Amino acid sequence: MKRIAFITTLLAGLLFILAPNKAHAQCKQQMVYACATKGKSIYLRDFNTKLRSSKPHERSARWTVVLNKDAHYRFNLCTPEGYEDKVIMTLYDSQHPEKTNPYGSTYDPKTGKHTDSFDFICRKSGMYYISIRLKEGVKIKKTCAVGILSFVGSTH
Amino acid sequence: MNRGPLAKYFVLLVLMFFVNLIFVGCSGCKKDQDTIEIPKNLPVHKEKPNPENQEVVDQIVNSFPSPVEVAAIIKDMEVPFSKKYLADPGIIDNYDINFKKAFGLGVLSADLGYLNVYERTTLIVEYLSAIKRLADDLRVGQFFDFQAFKRLATSNENLDSLVFLSVNSFSNMNHHLQENARGNLSLLMVTGVWLEGLYLMTQVYKEHPNDKLKELIGDQKTIFTILYQGLKLYNNDDYFKKILDEFKKIDKIYSQVTITYEKVKPSYQSSQSDIPVYEQEERSVINITDQQINDLINITEQVRNKLINL
Repeated sequence: MKRIAFITTLLAGLLFILAPNKAHAQCKQQMVYACATKGKSIYLRDFNTKLRSSKPHERSARWTVVLNKDAHYRFNLCTPEGYEDKVIMTLYDSQHPEKTNPYGSTYDPKTGKHTDSFDFICRKSGMYYISIRLKEGVKIKKTCAVGILSFVGSTH
Repeated sequence: MNRGPLAKYFVLLVLMFFVNLIFVGCSGCKKDQDTIEIPKNLPVHKEKPNPENQEVVDQIVNSFPSPVEVAAIIKDMEVPFSKKYLADPGIIDNYDINFKKAFGLGVLSADLGYLNVYERTTLIVEYLSAIKRLADDLRVGQFFDFQAFKRLATSNENLDSLVFLSVNSFSNMNHHLQENARGNLSLLMVTGVWLEGLYLMTQVYKEHPNDKLKELIGDQKTIFTILYQGLKLYNNDDYFKKILDEFKKIDKIYSQVTITYEKVKPSYQSSQSDIPVYEQEERSVINITDQQINDLINITEQVRNKLINL
């Protein structure tokens, strides 16, 4: 009996050590997949992050992305249920700063309206920034959010 | 207090938990273990990059367009499919070092993107097998679910899923390489993707010339400049030197292409009214002559064919 208990414990321990163990809290692949395949546009890239209001550096995440001239892109934002009006995705660069004059966003501060997607007609190839951040003043323990970049078509 | 045997095993389990924490805690900072042992008389291909370069390279790699984007643009121009644009997956038999494998993985991933977008499922499996072999050799094969790919490709049903799986696998392989201080391999992967994309565009232009594609090829100067700067960070490596020597030829032509900017009024009409559309109010104007585009077509073909057979 003792031997069986020992072997069981040892096996459980080994499994625990060897099993894939990613201690991050990004959105799960199923959610990324659902978000990436919900429209008819062609999926290009995802921006997956965890968000927490208690730590300032975890309130937002930023990525660089190269976009091509004359392409019609779509940006979709997906969050777990109940967080739709707490997270904002924004496209910007140094000439169009995130806070004051971004190219596009899922939140319009003038109307207070949230959308889960926006389109961008790129007229010059180059490097742009995408941010996903918790809305100002939002306090939550933790959540995740995923942004999807997809190709709608050329604007020729 | 007399502790029973089960309590001892519980203590053992707790100890194992802490051992696990040590393993997991270090997984992100683990140094790469696969440095190639190189005899003195052979050219040096250092797989471990300079850590100072790593951040710059990661930013370049992470920002780069997806392997399906060029194909999507070309298909959108209603250009018919042609297999002759694609690299032969058999080329991988000649790849003897990881740098060549990483570059080849990028080239074939761009071709896979082209096949996916054009829904050529019968050809996909051949490319998947080659990519899987390269990924396994680079020890990133765990991010490439070959059976799932094969099932999707042969069922010919869910092509959205196939595109998702292709792009997602490529991206996961890249992230894993970066996290393990192998960002130089990532850089070679995106170099392969970009060069194959440029080759595809120039070959299509040769047969279906149009002003928009001409402009798009000239506009690749922007992306080329970023990539070229990234590759220069590794100019002390023999394999990178060979790539840089070839890219110098492309640079020579792109340095003659000029890009200017002008203000424009947004004019694009979207067919989907429920999604907000934002259009840039400044556009780039690509100044590229017929001579320059012809030179680019020829040089890109030479460079691409040389590098995939290096």
